[in-house]
Amino acid sequence: MKIAVCAKQIPDPALEITYNGGNINRPDEQVLDDTDRYGIEVALQLKEKFDAEVTVISMGSLGTEKGIQQALQMGPDGALVLEDDSLTGSNSLMTANVLSELSKKVEADITIFGTESTDGYSGVIPQQVSRMLGVPCISYIKAVDIDESVTLTRQTSTGSEKVVMPANCVLSVTAGGVEPRYPNFKDIMAAKSKPIERISIADINYDAQQNLEFVDIKDVSTTKQGEKIIDEGEGFQIIIDKLKELKAI
Amino acid sequence: MKTLIIGEVVDNKLSSGALEIVTKANDLGLDYEIVTVGSEESPNIGSESFKNTYIKCSENKLSLGSVADKLKNIIEENTISLVLAPSTYVGRDLIAFLSVDFKSSQVSNVINFEIEGESVITSNSINGGESEYNSKISSPNKFLLIRPKSFEEASLDLNTNFETVEITSEDPEVFDIFIEEKTGPQLEDSKIVISAGRGMVDSENLSLVQDLASKLNAAIGGTRAIVDAGWMPYSQQVGQTGKTVKPDVYIALGISGATQHQVGMKDSKYIIAVNKDEEAPIFQIADLGLVADTLSIVPKITENL
Repeated sequence: MKIAVCAKQIPDPALEITYNGGNINRPDEQVLDDTDRYGIEVALQLKEKFDAEVTVISMGSLGTEKGIQQALQMGPDGALVLEDDSLTGSNSLMTANVLSELSKKVEADITIFGTESTDGYSGVIPQQVSRMLGVPCISYIKAVDIDESVTLTRQTSTGSEKVVMPANCVLSVTAGGVEPRYPNFKDIMAAKSKPIERISIADINYDAQQNLEFVDIKDVSTTKQGEKIIDEGEGFQIIIDKLKELKAI
Repeated sequence: MKTLIIGEVVDNKLSSGALEIVTKANDLGLDYEIVTVGSEESPNIGSESFKNTYIKCSENKLSLGSVADKLKNIIEENTISLVLAPSTYVGRDLIAFLSVDFKSSQVSNVINFEIEGESVITSNSINGGESEYNSKISSPNKFLLIRPKSFEEASLDLNTNFETVEITSEDPEVFDIFIEEKTGPQLEDSKIVISAGRGMVDSENLSLVQDLASKLNAAIGGTRAIVDAGWMPYSQQVGQTGKTVKPDVYIALGISGATQHQVGMKDSKYIIAVNKDEEAPIFQIADLGLVADTLSIVPKITENL
């Protein structure tokens, strides 16, 4: 079994996202999107059971590759990454085109994602990649039960449902679906010698078009004249009085 | 502009997300039809005011890929250029599949849109709602995922006047379907919502929130951080990737107010925030902010109500 697992490098999520024109400013050092740790964990559990080969796939500005290293520290075998200046400001479909080609390059049977990145939030890349690969997409996985076959529990709007993992498919894993492992010192050192193959857009079959044009960013902030009170013991009463005034009680 | 709205069957009716988009479509005078996806026998999804096609799937198959194939035919046959779906699990899958088929990237998380000639201008909310990011789609086919609660729900008399198309497919089998029991006030329509964040320190302290919510007849929500930590199911997450709520009163307990959370609650009519960090961003959008130890304040409010 061969598995491709997507890892996205994002700006430090503790800092506010800033834009240059319509594009997110990306510092040289970006980190692994925590959302991807859930997908990587599922890939590693499959690796342990089925002796699968796990390759991290990633696109975008590579910079110091810190985020790629963080992904490898968890336990994948190597990485295949693609950076190309022409991909700055890619729409979802352009991104999905690249990632589906990377999945093909590593001959993945299973391609695994988080559900949406923390900086872009488009939330459709796994489904788009599955459509491009012509395989089913098992989206919003919230639990994984690995035995001789693999049973996936999907989050639905009303509850959940289960599906047996097909031999070829794309998975998207929700945050909280599994408990991502923490790398130890040995894992961190071992990751440094794992192979990272870097390819360019000329090496893949790429034909996606940009159909979205950035117009502008408008400030729509409204300064609220809210009250801020420091509790000196009667804070609870202030809230109760307000709830009464609002006729909430 | 010929338009298709994708709806779902929820509680045997047309989903609120679709009815919200209907309001906007009416405002813009769009020439629209609806396709509703579901597995119910006889849902109330039809109306005298629009054409509705019901794509009926087996609940025992994961058939959204096949549903997208059917939608593709409808879009081509009826020369539809604008496709609108609420940003739900089903909507996201379908719009993603169609965007590949028509080689036109979707715009996700749209909060508003306008027609400009043959193009569509979309707005997204960024920086916790302080800015709007506007894009223009000029490809012949346009796919939009609309955030829930962006528009008022259209009030319509729904009936069973629609055409049904059944899907039979070789898709993966689905089993052990579990329907979460809905008890008490629901996040989407409760007048009061109380949400908890990391400041509640431990999942056991959520019982304090529960007690207060019972007294106020409020629905309970949480931040992504505590949902990720497993304190609360994903269905209770409020924010960018969770639910959008607009209650009369929103009470944020131990929530710092990350922009991703603000997007899901900032339009609440009145926001009360309790946090011990005076600098927490939640205070910038709160109508009443109390700098206090959340854990000790919450039981005091409950006891004195």
